[in-house]
Amino acid sequence: MTLSSASQIELHNVSQSFNHNAQQITLFQQLSLCIEQGQSYAITGPSGSGKSSLLMLMAGLEPPTAGQISYIEHGRSMPLALLRQNIGFVFQQFHLLPELTALHNVALPLKLRGEKNAEVIAAASLEKVGLGHRLNHKPQQLSGGEQQRAAIARALVFQPKFIFADEPTGNLDSKSAANVADLLFDCCRQNGAALVIVTHSPPLAARAQQVLAFNNGNCTLLAKPQMEVQDACY
Amino acid sequence: MRATEQLRQNLQLAWHFYQQQKQHSKERVLRWVQGILLLFIVTLSQTSASIQAYLGQNLANLLGADLVLSQPLALTASQHAELTAMAEQIVLSQSLTTTLTHNDQWQRATLKAVAEDYPLQGELRSAAFPGGPDSASSQGPAIGEIWLDSRLLAALGLQIGEPLRIGGQQLIVSRILLHEPDRLMEGHNVEMRALLHRQDLQQFRGADDIIQHRYLVEANTQQIAGIRQWHKTHLPAAQLHHKHGAHPLALFWQRTENFIGLASILLFFMAAIAMQQLSRAQLPQQQFFSAVCLSLGASKQKVLQISMLKWLFGLLLLLPQVLLLSALCHWLALQWLKAHVFAGQELAGSVATLIWQPNITLAIKTVFASAAIFFVFNLPLWLALWQCSVRQLIQQQQRSISNAVLFGCALLVLGGLAAHYSDNGLLTAMLLGSMITSIALLLVLSWLALSLGEKLSQPFSGLLPFALYMMKQRLLSKTTQILGIGLAAFLLLFTLMLLKDLGDNMAAHQRAHDGNLLVTQASATQMADIEVWAAQHNLTIRQHKPFIYGQLSHINGGLLTEVMQKPSDSLAAFNRPVRLHWSAEMPGNNRLVGGQWWHSAADNWQQLSVEQEVMTDLGLQLGDKLGLVIGGHAIEFSIVASHAYQSGAGAITFWLQMPPAALAHISAPQYSMASLELQPQQFSLLPQLWQQHPSLRMVSLQELTQRFDNSLAMVTRLISGFAGLIMLLAGIVMLSSVHAVEAKEQKKNSIILSFGLSKRTCLQLNMIEWLVTGAIAACGAIVATWLAGLLIYQSQFSLTYQPDMGWLLGILAVIITLVTTLGMLLSKHSLSCSVRQLLAE
Repeated sequence: MTLSSASQIELHNVSQSFNHNAQQITLFQQLSLCIEQGQSYAITGPSGSGKSSLLMLMAGLEPPTAGQISYIEHGRSMPLALLRQNIGFVFQQFHLLPELTALHNVALPLKLRGEKNAEVIAAASLEKVGLGHRLNHKPQQLSGGEQQRAAIARALVFQPKFIFADEPTGNLDSKSAANVADLLFDCCRQNGAALVIVTHSPPLAARAQQVLAFNNGNCTLLAKPQMEVQDACY
Repeated sequence: MRATEQLRQNLQLAWHFYQQQKQHSKERVLRWVQGILLLFIVTLSQTSASIQAYLGQNLANLLGADLVLSQPLALTASQHAELTAMAEQIVLSQSLTTTLTHNDQWQRATLKAVAEDYPLQGELRSAAFPGGPDSASSQGPAIGEIWLDSRLLAALGLQIGEPLRIGGQQLIVSRILLHEPDRLMEGHNVEMRALLHRQDLQQFRGADDIIQHRYLVEANTQQIAGIRQWHKTHLPAAQLHHKHGAHPLALFWQRTENFIGLASILLFFMAAIAMQQLSRAQLPQQQFFSAVCLSLGASKQKVLQISMLKWLFGLLLLLPQVLLLSALCHWLALQWLKAHVFAGQELAGSVATLIWQPNITLAIKTVFASAAIFFVFNLPLWLALWQCSVRQLIQQQQRSISNAVLFGCALLVLGGLAAHYSDNGLLTAMLLGSMITSIALLLVLSWLALSLGEKLSQPFSGLLPFALYMMKQRLLSKTTQILGIGLAAFLLLFTLMLLKDLGDNMAAHQRAHDGNLLVTQASATQMADIEVWAAQHNLTIRQHKPFIYGQLSHINGGLLTEVMQKPSDSLAAFNRPVRLHWSAEMPGNNRLVGGQWWHSAADNWQQLSVEQEVMTDLGLQLGDKLGLVIGGHAIEFSIVASHAYQSGAGAITFWLQMPPAALAHISAPQYSMASLELQPQQFSLLPQLWQQHPSLRMVSLQELTQRFDNSLAMVTRLISGFAGLIMLLAGIVMLSSVHAVEAKEQKKNSIILSFGLSKRTCLQLNMIEWLVTGAIAACGAIVATWLAGLLIYQSQFSLTYQPDMGWLLGILAVIITLVTTLGMLLSKHSLSCSVRQLLAE
């Protein structure tokens, strides 16, 4: 995917802070970066450092305290509302709706978008993540790894340009975590979507092309060679 | 550790947690539900107790004697002698309901004839002119004089000193009658009254007029017991009242209380739904708390005890407000009752007044009973807590509340309530039947609408199919929500719409089928004159049915008063002589419900057909024996058939019917009921007929609808208060059902946002869900009301229910709009969702 055809999210001098007990707490300041479609990013850092807040800003779901966020498509700046239609989320707790089967959970975003073949597409998507035999199982009948696979299928089924994953392997054993990570990176690559992962796991972060590290209120973009990456690109 | 020490500790903990949680919205809603029901039940029981106390006092004040014996016939000489031997003194009063005319005015009134020995006890009060000071009189009017009550005086356009003609006899109106001390029997009868001398009554009465003879007896306790025994064996058909007996109005009020109590079953059902929803909402938090306690070494008993104590604190702290408010409502209810229901008695100068006096013991008992009900409603929650373990902290699994337990608990409470308030099999069955039908209907409608809606919309995508799909997935919780709203709507429609329709329908129907003048009692001579009069003025007699009076005294050999203990409409009516009709064929407006109608040639004349509702009310079976006193003779009939009213052939129907062959063996005055159609200008011809026959009983439709409208207005006011309560509870049911799924809804909305959709989509989905919920609930309520209308109109008023479709559609629109608006307002919280919440979990 060439840069000119890709969509990107640009953050210019973005700062985020909030008030707690009449005291202002700053999460990060003057942060500028660009998330490009087709690339992978990892955000690391200790708990409470502002990783999730940055994720929310990137997705255009919360406004920054200062600075500017732009959504660029084919070199043209587009309204942020358009960005929201092109994002998908994967959560640590999976957040599948318990009353729906795997198939119906994945079909959910398609149905909401008025897709007529929602269930056919959802079934194909689940097949792709290896859950073709679990279509009619409800979340509680699936293992943690399987639930996260279904969640990945759901996030990707409507082909968003950006996938935001919050600790996607945080609730899984190491084997399942490795499988889910493989799947996530593979699927995003196949779909040509940008992947932004918030994680505490260095091996998972190391698989991303770029890593943003939060440390003592500073956010630094680390170059990939510094991470001793085994399987850095996809 | 000693048990008391442990309890003290648990109390402290429970109090601590109660304080912490009392501001939670779920706790607040629970308090509202319990508070409203407590308020309703306490007010009802307190008002009822005040009325019963008033009636008891009223009985003592209004009897005017130590004992009163009344019957349509005069005592025979031997009976009189026997009674005199057993009493200190006996005073006779005779009364006759008749129509008095003066110039072109006429008015129905009760004439009471007394002699110089009246009153026996108490004060006879009168005034010299309308509005004049009242004074006690030592005796009634002299011969040739009549005293009228001020309403009658005004209705006839008379002045004091003017003459009034009754059956050719001229009497001078000499005083205003204010109060007779023996008006017990007319306790709930507000007919206008007149008092005259007994000799004057003898002058103009017809031979076949029914005159109620009332013997006021002065006797000591021992003598009263003797007379009561004598009454049972010698005059079982006569009515006997004494100063320790029940007030006749007490049965009427008991009936009203029972009816409201039965209707309250629906309120409790709605409360059960609200509390069940709240239990579901509270469960995760309470289970989490219990599991944490268990993981810290606390026992299950302790955890449960704390939860129960916490609930108890909530209830106890609710009591001051509830008791205060119910005292206020009690006061307001009594003021209203004084102004509307008991106004006649207050005006009549009754010494006893309806006093506001809260009954603390009763309030405690009521609160205790209500607390027991709430306890049962809460049992499923405690059962789920009892099953909770530390495991769920590890596995993140919850034990949900068993639906069977929930259903069982609700059924237990509602069954208990129904049994407590039930006094009449048919009415209870009818009310509960319509409630159960509406519940079943709402359940079926919800299931059908959601399942079919989801199935049919499957090939399509978009918000509506998605909303239907989600609702189908949450069928159980959605159905519960629909049930709550639907029941509230049903109750509202049932109470308000039926009353409105009833008035319209009744007037129209009666006019179409029965003419506009009803002769309720005419003797053979009177009827012959009516026929002549009708022919003269070219009037049609639409119906004409003969009857005799009979007093039910025994059922299967047992005395009526001993066999029947529970109050009912039928029993209240059977305390007076009832009309007995004869017919060889089944009347056109009756249908056979059970048994066999007699053959005209049958030898056995001691057969009866009894109306279906009477059979149910009195618990009668085919083959039972009824003892009737007719014309002073006791006759035993056996029930061979049961009939019910069917519309289309006139409204005059009878509870008891016998073969015409029986007439040959019975000697009693025969009367007729008839209906006629008069042109408006022909109403002025009526005084001529009444002048000729003062005791002729005729009711014009105008008079009938006026009476009906008055009762309707009173009931509507009462119902409006009830409707307000229903609306409040309906709001709470909605609120609690929103609370029950709030967490799920919030999560669903957050997930929808995470798909890149906007909050507007969530709002639209929410609106569609409420629209569908409101539509199903409204349709269910309307169909249920229609069914109930059909059932009750037909059985209680013998009318065919014809609802106004425009009105129904309007109601449908109003309910849907209200439910959607309220639902969206209440769901505001679940719409304040964000992806961040999902990230934070």
